[in-house]
Parts: sequence; C-alpha cells; structure tokens
Amino acid sequence: MNSKDQILNSIRQHSQVKYDRPVIAPDAIQFSDKVKQFIDESKRVGGDAVLLKDGEDVNQLIANLYPDAKTIASNVANITSTMNPDLVDTPRQLNGIDLGIVEGEIGVAENGAVWIPQNVKERAFYFIVDHLIILLSKDKLVNNMHEAYKMQQFTGYGFGVFISGPSKTADIEQALVKGAHGAKGVTVILL
Amino acid sequence: MNKNHVTSAERFLKDKEGAQWHNETLWITREKRDKMAMGIPEWEELRELASSIKMHAITHLDEYLLQFAEAAEKNGATVHWAKDATEHNEIVLDLLRKHNAVKVVKSKSMLTEECCLDDFLCDNGINVIESDLGERILQLLNQPPSHIVMPAIHLKRQIIGKLFEEKLHTEEGNSDPTYLTGCMRENLRQEFLSTEVAMTGANFGIAETGDVVVCTNEGNADMGTSQANVHIVSMGIEKVIPDRDSLAVFTRLLARSATGQPITSYTSQYRKPRKGGELHIILVDNGRSDILGNKEHMQTLKCIRCGACMNTCPVYRRSGGYSYSYFIPGPIGINLGMLKSPQEYYTNLSACTLCFSCNNVCPVKIDLGNQIYRWRQSLDSIGKANPAKKMLSNGMSILFNHPGFFRSALQMAPVVNKIPRPLKYNKFNKWGEGRELPEFAPETFTSWWNKNVKR
Repeated sequence: MNSKDQILNSIRQHSQVKYDRPVIAPDAIQFSDKVKQFIDESKRVGGDAVLLKDGEDVNQLIANLYPDAKTIASNVANITSTMNPDLVDTPRQLNGIDLGIVEGEIGVAENGAVWIPQNVKERAFYFIVDHLIILLSKDKLVNNMHEAYKMQQFTGYGFGVFISGPSKTADIEQALVKGAHGAKGVTVILL
Repeated sequence: MNKNHVTSAERFLKDKEGAQWHNETLWITREKRDKMAMGIPEWEELRELASSIKMHAITHLDEYLLQFAEAAEKNGATVHWAKDATEHNEIVLDLLRKHNAVKVVKSKSMLTEECCLDDFLCDNGINVIESDLGERILQLLNQPPSHIVMPAIHLKRQIIGKLFEEKLHTEEGNSDPTYLTGCMRENLRQEFLSTEVAMTGANFGIAETGDVVVCTNEGNADMGTSQANVHIVSMGIEKVIPDRDSLAVFTRLLARSATGQPITSYTSQYRKPRKGGELHIILVDNGRSDILGNKEHMQTLKCIRCGACMNTCPVYRRSGGYSYSYFIPGPIGINLGMLKSPQEYYTNLSACTLCFSCNNVCPVKIDLGNQIYRWRQSLDSIGKANPAKKMLSNGMSILFNHPGFFRSALQMAPVVNKIPRPLKYNKFNKWGEGRELPEFAPETFTSWWNKNVKR
C-alpha cells in the first residue's frame, strides 16, 4: 500500500463522529465610509493610501509621492515609467527597482489589504521593488474579507496576493522595522 | 535542553530583567490582540465559526484531502504524500537532488521543524537558508525557536548585534534593530536571487481550488518562491479547509490573534507553478491521523499556529519557550507533546495554572486547559504520577472521606504553627518550595460557631 492510501486509511479508521459544515454567513462589519476606513487602516498597517482628486493627474501625484525614484517600472497603460517589468528574461533582473506601479483588483476596508491577481510577467515584481504603488478603483472597495473572497478572481498565472502595507518584521526585540525583505513602502492610490 | 520544566524555568528566571521583559512584551502582544478582537463586533461569532469549520474539516479529512490533491494536480502542481517525518525529508532531498540543487531557501515552517528537516538536509550536504529574520538569527546561533510566531523573542538586541558582527561583518557595537534588519535584507537578497529551490510551509490548503495559502509579514516566502524555479510546500494534512468562504474566516482571525494586526502584510495564494517551473506539495501525516481517534484530544488538530495561547499564558510568559521540552511550547505545545510521546514530554504538564486564559483567546476555541487537566488525571496510569504528591493525595483522600478524622486533624492543626521551621520546610516538603504555609487559627470555625452563634 502506498503512503497516500495508508494515510487515507488511517484517517478513515480513526475518524469518529462527523461534524456538519456550518453556514458561513457572519453578520460582518460594515463601514459607512469605506474610502476613509481604507485610508485610515492603510496608515495603521504602516502603509499609505491617497485619494486621487478630481482633475488631478495620477503621474503627477506619483512624481510628488516619490520624487527621488530613479528606476520606475510599470506595465500599466498611461503610467510614466522607465522600464516595463514584462520585458525581463529572469526575475533576478527586477532587483534594484526603486518604484514599481501595479494595479489592484479589490481593496478591503477592514484591514487595508489589496488583492492583486498576478498581472505582471514575474510575481517577484510585487515583492522585490523598494517601493510599491498600487492603483485601485475606489469602486472596488469592500467592507471585509468575506466580501473580498466572494469577488476574488485569478488570472492565468495562477498566483495572487493580498498586500496590506509594507514588508515588516519585529523579530529583533519586537521593534517594528519596515522593509524586512519586500517593499519598504506601499502606497495605494484610489482612483 | 533540560527535560524538566520546573528546573528550566528556574534558570530562565535567574535573569530577572530578561524574564520581566519577556513577560511584559508578550503581554503587550496579548493586549494588541484584545484591541483587535474588540474592534470586530462579530469576533465571538467568528471564533465559533472557525471552530465549527475546523471540526467539520478534520472529521471529513479524507474527502477534503482528495479534493485538494485533485484540484492542485489539475492546476499543475505535484502532490506527494508522506506518512511520517522520514518520508517527508526523503521526498524533499529527492527533489533537491533531481534538480542538482545544493541550496534551498526556506520560509518559516513549524512542520519542517517538527520533521527536523534542516539537520537532515545539512547532513546530506545541502545548504539550508532560513529566510525569516528571526529564524535566520536562530539558525546562525544554532538554536531552536522559542515561540512559534516570534521565534527569537528570548534574545536581546546586543546578542544579535554581536552575532551579525561575526557573521555579516556589521558595524562593531551597533545593535539597532533597523540597522541590523537592513543588513540581513541585503545579505539574504543575494540568497534569494541565486536559489534554484524555495520551500515554504502552508497556513491553509483550499480543497475547492487547490490553492496553498502562505501568510507572512516579511515577504520572505514570496521572495524565495518568486525567484526559484522549484517551490516545495510542506503542509500538515490538518491544514486543508473546504473553500474560500472558510478561508475568509481564518484570514480575519489569524493575524489579529497572533500579533494584533488586522491581517499579515502578505497573504499569498499559490495555485499554479511559475511559468516553466514546478510546484510540489507534500501532505504530511506524521501522527495526525492517529489523533483523530483520540476523542479527548482531537481538537488540537484545529490549531492554526497563531501563538495566542503562549502570549496569554502566565507560565509561558514567565518561563520562556526553552523551559518546555517539546519543540512547540505553551498550552498547545504541552498538548501536542503529550500526543507525540507522553513518556517523553509529561513534565510539561506542570507548566499550567489551569487559569484557562488560553481557552478564551484561542481563535479556533481549542479546549487547551481542559485537555491539560485531563492529561494530569491520566499521569498515574502511565506511571508518571509524582510519588510525593501521590502519597499526599492518598492521605488527603483518607482525611476528607472520614469526618471524624478530619475534625480531629483540624483541632490539632494549630500545633503546626509551633513546629520549628526546618521541620516544616525541607526537601521532603515539595509544596514548601517557594510557598509559605498560612498561620492556622487557634480555634476551628465549627467550634467558634458552636460557642458564639449556635444557641
């Protein structure tokens, strides 16, 4: 008997009372102003979120937010960049990018997380850049994770990630440090 | 490592300042968790749901594992089944050899810790790089983690500064956490960029879709897996949950319970391998299926490894992870150790005041304190009852079962007040260690009542 069958047999042998699946429909938290809640929460998790004002140019806003960024990479249409991350041969070539700009699909007001189904050639891009900007339509904000998972979609790449603020660690004496391995800063621009 | 919690804890407490810092720091984490929980009106409903989902999943484990494996393979992953640690380790080594890999970059995984994978791979000539900052520090110090979420919580920054001076050639005397973290970022960046194989654990496996879900704050799991061509996932069979609706519940509870964050920085869902790469998922039993047959302790399989029971435990906070002999400390570790080998790990049972605080913070409502109590009741049956305590218990049983005997004993009790100290507090009186006997009243309550109240 192979290990798979041994494990399954052992499970069947030992299982006793079976429990039913509960109905998963909690009366989950709602926010009267999702935009404000999302922005507040993004700041609380060490990131940032800004609302693009009427008539404001997104490229100008990005330039104002990160005036020192030299290598700027994005595959988003009409976004000013110095390189297209989809043109690299290996993910290693993405090392050393100051600023990456990507699009998010769902924003979650309760925790500042943004769902990004892989929409660049290398998934490394979301993690390896020094600073990350996520562009998100403010119409795509939901209240909580239950709503988010109802909407979650994948692209053909078969990878996706919820990002909530920058990479961080507190492994040395519980002192919070941003930029453990991934982005040192994450800013969500709500369009 | 000393096998006795009491003596190990004594050693931990010798460094008074360090012990106090440990206690207070973990308590702050507990307070952060409380703040988060109170911010969610439906918190208790979520805990109840999480518990029910897990009870359902672990009692339908065969079905969900098959569904998960089928979905994962349809996504292009390869699923391996390992009945124990040895088989798991062999599968990993085989995969590494197949790819001529001499190095593997790992993210944090308590399961690989359970399987002693790092040592096994090192013995077989593989360079293992732990990439979680805390885990990397411990690997360089050749120490095991002392907490399942904050592995290096027992270390002061100066020790880490010294270590980095030696290993990473950092500035002398600089133990600033931001500086040290930055140095490790640079150092490990090179390891990420040059690895062929990356390993992660799994927080959840979704049966419906075959997704492997990995939650980290540092992004180290993603840094490794997004560079390497081969991603190996080690996943305990109890990690499988039915669907994404279930996942929603757990992503709301995990980080809030663990560190007091609303969610981890990264919640990554791995469905397909990287283009041209490979995704291997090893489903590991290693004793888990046996636990299903243990009605009194099967709830331990609900555990999502958040560490909240450690942060709240008054004994863990004041004795540190190394005082426990099992590799997972705290209330959940006491129970998992007993399930692994009672003869080896029974001394951990003393590390509990039965305050039940762990029960109240556990996001999946494991009856941790009740289980410890039940294990204690069974100590005699495995031949591990403390002889002195057993004798005392037998004595008390006689005393409390014979009212006449009890009354005369009470009347005589004040005599104890006059017994010279060395006769009361000596090596034969275990209970006298660190405890003071209260002064017995000159008269019993019954006799006072009869004299003054009763007519």
